[in-house]
Amino acid sequence: MSDAHDRLRGWAAAKKAILAGLRFTSLRLRLVVVFALVALTAAVSASGIAYWLNREAVLTRAQDAALSDFQQEMQNRAAALPEHPTQGELQHAANLMASSSQHFSVLLISDDKDGRRIAGNSDLDAITLAEVPSSLRDAVNREQPLTDGNKHPYHLYWQRIVSNDTPYLVGGARVIDGGPTGYMLKSLEPEAKDLNSLAWSLGIATALALIGSALLAQAAATTVLKPVHRLGRAARRLGEGKLDTRLRVSGTDELADLSRTFNRTAENLEKKVADMSAREEASRRFVADMSHELRTPLTAITAVTEVLEEELDAETGSVDPMIEPAVRLVVSETRRLNDLVENLMEVTRFDAGTARLVLDHVDIADQITACIDARAWLDAVDLDAERGIMARIDPRRLDVIMANLIGNALKHGGSPVRVSVRLADSALVIEVRDHGPGIPQDVLPHVFDRFYKASASRPRSEGSGLGLSIALENAHIHGGEITAANSPEGGAVFTFRLPLDASPLTLPPDDEGAVGGGSGEEGGA
Amino acid sequence: MTSVPSLLLIEDDDAIRTALELSLTRQGHRVATAATGEDGLKLLREQRPDLIVLDVMLPGIDGFEVCRRIRRTDQLPIILLTARSDDIDVVVGLESGADDYVVKPVQGRVLDARIRAVLRRGEREANDAASFGSLVIDRAAMTVTKNGEDLQLTPTELRLLLELSRRPGQALSRQQLLRLVWEHDYLGDSRLVDACVQRLRAKVEDVPSSPTLIRTVRGVGYRLDTPQ
Repeated sequence: MSDAHDRLRGWAAAKKAILAGLRFTSLRLRLVVVFALVALTAAVSASGIAYWLNREAVLTRAQDAALSDFQQEMQNRAAALPEHPTQGELQHAANLMASSSQHFSVLLISDDKDGRRIAGNSDLDAITLAEVPSSLRDAVNREQPLTDGNKHPYHLYWQRIVSNDTPYLVGGARVIDGGPTGYMLKSLEPEAKDLNSLAWSLGIATALALIGSALLAQAAATTVLKPVHRLGRAARRLGEGKLDTRLRVSGTDELADLSRTFNRTAENLEKKVADMSAREEASRRFVADMSHELRTPLTAITAVTEVLEEELDAETGSVDPMIEPAVRLVVSETRRLNDLVENLMEVTRFDAGTARLVLDHVDIADQITACIDARAWLDAVDLDAERGIMARIDPRRLDVIMANLIGNALKHGGSPVRVSVRLADSALVIEVRDHGPGIPQDVLPHVFDRFYKASASRPRSEGSGLGLSIALENAHIHGGEITAANSPEGGAVFTFRLPLDASPLTLPPDDEGAVGGGSGEEGGA
Repeated sequence: MTSVPSLLLIEDDDAIRTALELSLTRQGHRVATAATGEDGLKLLREQRPDLIVLDVMLPGIDGFEVCRRIRRTDQLPIILLTARSDDIDVVVGLESGADDYVVKPVQGRVLDARIRAVLRRGEREANDAASFGSLVIDRAAMTVTKNGEDLQLTPTELRLLLELSRRPGQALSRQQLLRLVWEHDYLGDSRLVDACVQRLRAKVEDVPSSPTLIRTVRGVGYRLDTPQ
């Protein structure tokens, strides 16, 4: 059963650990998130800068090559055209220009002899004037004033456009001193593809960095959290009272320090607890030894006081009347001392756990009647119990319980004391009810405390102060319970519940087994 | 049996020995005392007392050992005086053959009552005999024979057997037996009965571990049967 229980507990702990791992505030998750954020920031900024620089370099190189080629071709071919070329010449020049190594399309525009605008196109589909942005056309055709810093009225201009999702470079220039205006259109698709694949690579690298950082964070968390887990487990075991729990210390880091501190603390705690329990054990043994030691002189005194008592009771009057009260006092106080020592012995036996049950089958009503009879309480106690209720209990302990409960009721409540016995669910319920003033509410929780006296002014001759405590211990050893309360009709009620068979509580299972001839047949009862 | 019973009190504590001697003498017993187990055994051989009151805690050989040595040769009644009512003490004492025990601090009157009860066990009361298989109980001679051989029984064992044989086939509870044999009040220690039954079985049964004469009646007590 305990195995299954352990397994259940282990499973619950594992579940808890998983839940703790998933909790947002858990150290592991926080570590992973922070690591991932750092990695993401670093990777994204590095890739972003790399991409940007690369893009500029690639585009600028492609653009510069195309434009300088275009310029060269303009000077070589377009400038060589007559001032008013024909459509065919223009076309031819454009084709020649476009056949350069840079693979761009060329559009040449000029006026013919009649002043009509003609256009020569290297590839009719590739470039038309409509595709050239008007701002570029304006810039190309605008004549700029000549200054020291500007030696030419016309310049080469360029612009990047996107048409049908394809990036293009458009450039335009005008031949100075009345030549055709030329435009070029170069597709930047290869460059864009290169840059795209670069972006992909960088993205993949970033993703890899993220995954790597997460794994690293996990590993780091594990190295930190494992000792923390061990520490937590050890602390829990310590809390459960396993004071010999120690951690294996390895390494020199802060966690090792913490483990060392834990070990030192546990050691000190263990020592202190051992110390305290040794002291408690010593004081308990002292009380036990003391009551033992008291018995020897008490035995002698008791035997002699009886002789004195008989002298007192004798008709002969052999005792001096002057010292008679002294003798009576000695006799009565010796009896009290006897009771006290007897009770102390009983209490120490309970404290040391050496109290044992000596079970027998008895008729409860008979036992209680005998208990009342033996103490001459028959007139003061009203017993409501049917004969025939048999129980397997320790008769001596039942007597102690009943004597203390009834004695207490007679002392504090006054007669008539009513004792009732009934059966309830295979348990015996014995109620002792008095007709006194009841127990004050502030006293009620303490009635079973040792040496607790309801009021300091109460005369000390009322008992050892151990009676109810002993009654309760005796009930507990039977697996029973005594509760105190006030009856609504007035008076205190002590309710004593007792299982009908106390034998499952005895270890060894049957006390008779030690000496009893019948144990062979009865042992398992 | 003499009219004034003679007792041997073995007790090492001077004060207790003196006080008990005083008290018992006043109750009308003849008391001889010894301070050690060895002295006690010597006095036993010399004086042949009717009963021994024996302290458990003795210097040298302890009360249990004294009890065991006496039982090897003698069947006279022994009452243990124990300072502890710890169960182990009582159990060991009963196993070593004691007839009864009294817990210190003992009241002289209680001890006297126990002594008288033990001594009464040896008294004759009827003049008949009964037989249970090979076991013959002669109430006139106060002897028990098994297969014609005399059995050495202590007065307590004899009384227990007599009480059981008086009601053959009828179960007697431990508390009943305590009242009949030990004359204890309602708070008798049932272990006295169990220990005595055990000793009796060792003497009268063919196989003590599987008794055919003195049977245990589960939940009640004991019963004497005639073997089939």
